[in-house]
Amino acid sequence: MAEIYGWTGKILRVDLSRRKITTIDTMKYVPKLIGGVGVAAMIAWEEITPDIGPFDPENRLMIMVGPLTGTLASGAGRVEVLAVAPQMHPPRFSRSGMGGHWGPELKYAGFDGIVVQGKAKKPVYIWINDGDVEILSAKDIWGLGTYATTKTLRSIHGDKTRVICCGPAGENLSRIAVIQTETENAAGQGGFGGVMGSKNLKAIAVRGTGGVKIARPEEFLDICLKQSREGLRPTKPSSDSGWPSEKVLAGPNFRRHKCGFCSTVCTNTIYMDIQGEVFPTLYTTEQMCYGYRTTSHNAQIEARVLTSNYGINGWEVSYGIIPWLQLCRQHGLIKEIDGFEIPAPDKPIKYYRDCAPVPPEFLAMLLRKIAYREGPIGDALSDGACYAAEKLFGGKGKRLLDRIYPGHWGQVEHWGGHWGPGGRAYWPWWLPPVLQWCMDTRDPASDTTHSWTSHVQWYLPKIGPYRGPFSLEKVRAVSKKVYGDPNVCDPFIEYDPPEARAIPAIWHTDRGMVVDSLILCDYEHPRVFSMLSEDGSADTAIMAKLFSACTGIDMSEHEMQKAGERIFNLLRAIDIRNYGRCRKVDEEPIDVGFHYPGKDDGVVLDKQKFLRLMDKYYELRGWNKENGWPTREKLEELDLKEVADELEKIGRLG
Amino acid sequence: MSRAIDTIIVPRSGVINFDERRCLECRECEVACSLYHEKECNPSLSRIQIDFDDFIPRFPRIQICKQCDWPSCYYACLSIHKEPAIYIDERTGARVIDEDKCMGCGACASACPLMPERAVIKYKEEGRRRIYFKCDLCKDRENGPICVEVCPTKALTFVTAEQRRKR
Repeated sequence: MAEIYGWTGKILRVDLSRRKITTIDTMKYVPKLIGGVGVAAMIAWEEITPDIGPFDPENRLMIMVGPLTGTLASGAGRVEVLAVAPQMHPPRFSRSGMGGHWGPELKYAGFDGIVVQGKAKKPVYIWINDGDVEILSAKDIWGLGTYATTKTLRSIHGDKTRVICCGPAGENLSRIAVIQTETENAAGQGGFGGVMGSKNLKAIAVRGTGGVKIARPEEFLDICLKQSREGLRPTKPSSDSGWPSEKVLAGPNFRRHKCGFCSTVCTNTIYMDIQGEVFPTLYTTEQMCYGYRTTSHNAQIEARVLTSNYGINGWEVSYGIIPWLQLCRQHGLIKEIDGFEIPAPDKPIKYYRDCAPVPPEFLAMLLRKIAYREGPIGDALSDGACYAAEKLFGGKGKRLLDRIYPGHWGQVEHWGGHWGPGGRAYWPWWLPPVLQWCMDTRDPASDTTHSWTSHVQWYLPKIGPYRGPFSLEKVRAVSKKVYGDPNVCDPFIEYDPPEARAIPAIWHTDRGMVVDSLILCDYEHPRVFSMLSEDGSADTAIMAKLFSACTGIDMSEHEMQKAGERIFNLLRAIDIRNYGRCRKVDEEPIDVGFHYPGKDDGVVLDKQKFLRLMDKYYELRGWNKENGWPTREKLEELDLKEVADELEKIGRLG
Repeated sequence: MSRAIDTIIVPRSGVINFDERRCLECRECEVACSLYHEKECNPSLSRIQIDFDDFIPRFPRIQICKQCDWPSCYYACLSIHKEPAIYIDERTGARVIDEDKCMGCGACASACPLMPERAVIKYKEEGRRRIYFKCDLCKDRENGPICVEVCPTKALTFVTAEQRRKR
């Protein structure tokens, strides 16, 4: 057999019901599907049937790495998790990613991913030691928080052991339980911690001492040093001091850290010895994206420690559940929980920013109730606000979800210019994200949207509060080169021509699929603009170059883009076959979630004009615009003939 | 021994310095090192290692050769082998193991005052042959040590022999 570079060549399969451990050949799926999400999507297409629910033993929990994981390419520390997701409302096959050090360790142990199926009779954890895999009893760690679980497994298997695990929330089948690693990294959206819990799987511990072989090391090193570190913000190395470095130094009781195998500017803080306000702990961490609106900084970080330790999706609690409870309070549906009054502002809540700060005692109580499903309120909220609204208050809280949850699909609006969390996105920049929200199987912001919104806003001359370095002429020239259409990044174009908004929605989604499959960080790729080139355009072929130098399999930028399109079409096909996805479903977020004025600009979506954007999106995708299903022609062009055949059999081919 | 080998004065070496307060634990130095030296991304084959545990409230620590003024590894190799594998690089002063000459005896690693709790001299196996390796300050690399170049926060810096504090 020829030498394999990049991938390890093996995907681990663990059947917990039969206690069977096998491997499958990665090369069966790649390079066609790259790795990561691409490979998992194909396994899901082959094995996850429509009747499999998120907590069924037959659900496949797939934790995947890609060909670039564990290499020098910046952002190579990430993992993608895929399964039928309990958080989605209704459940559907979805994905989530996390950073940290676990993914590279799995790669160094010799695997391109793990597919877990079945359900153990008693709680277990999986121990992977350089290719040796064991299913061990989790008797002593079941019930522990994620921090204690990690520390216990390190004390058993050595301090270099990397651990992913679920906390009490996952054990109690919360729909908003995360898979946690280290102190703060988590695969949050989707509720995959509950999938672990449903399989009686507490943790997966890994130690690997192997490496990732690189086909063309000099070339790979060169790309990594020169280009891979650019990040999304306008930045470039100076001639004397090289790439800009982090300005913040450590203090006496905190230090900065980041995910493994990444060199762009983005860090978090670890507080090493701080007196707590909710719980006194030694190590408290600050997370990249989410935070609680609470009363003090200490309360904030302590609450986040509780969240991580219980293994709860803090994003959902902070931006979804708490605002929804405050709205319910404003509408007289509930006043207090266990004697703790739900804080609510005097004026009506329209956006997240209107919410009242929450005292730390309330947060501690709420998080405990969610993790352990305490009482009827805790039990309901443990499933996230969309499910809770069906159970509580006779369903009267359902309409209060409208502003928070596009389509009531179970995930909070994010980077779409409306509800609040994520960055600011100004009109007309939020049109492509809203299109992506309509088409995707998760909150698209985390892996496909913000490469668009942040990029355009930070480089353009004057949009909202931003002052980027490029003139409008330069921006139009780059747009022409990168997207093939000068109008794409033009802030004065609204709905017409529709291509200008549909093209970036598709481009960034497909590139996002490539990022999720290689796997790199969505905070760095894909790039459009750059300070490194004369004309201001980024080297959009960089992912293809990294892939080719790493694996030795030459893939052009165009082929890479096609692979991304293939992967997204495959995810779409799963959604169509298993969950009846169609245009009618795609349109749900328009009236629910994006129907009110944008938070930063007050602009209201024009439904009729937006429907024409959707027409254009389907047309450019090669999907039937009546029903939103891919056509045979498109699927065969993407080398997915078997997918077209099966969709045709059930009458859902476009 | 015909003469006291450890009285041979060797030229001072440059060294890689580590500012623990700047380190972000990204481990790019580890994979860059193994990629440059071993053509693969593999921290086990890296000449530099960053130790940290986010559950332990202390700054990260580094494991890398200190390029001692009085290099025990070098003397050990010289005292055992007719054709010693360790030599002093002229340009940087690095104490370097010539992998072609290494017999795999491990005397250098045993002699190193930092070993074994800091793995600064490690070995790999090629067939049945053990080959020891350690930081050579990327002696032939134009831009200096790769780990220093790749470090996103300049936690790693290269200090030349001249810049190093006088004895």
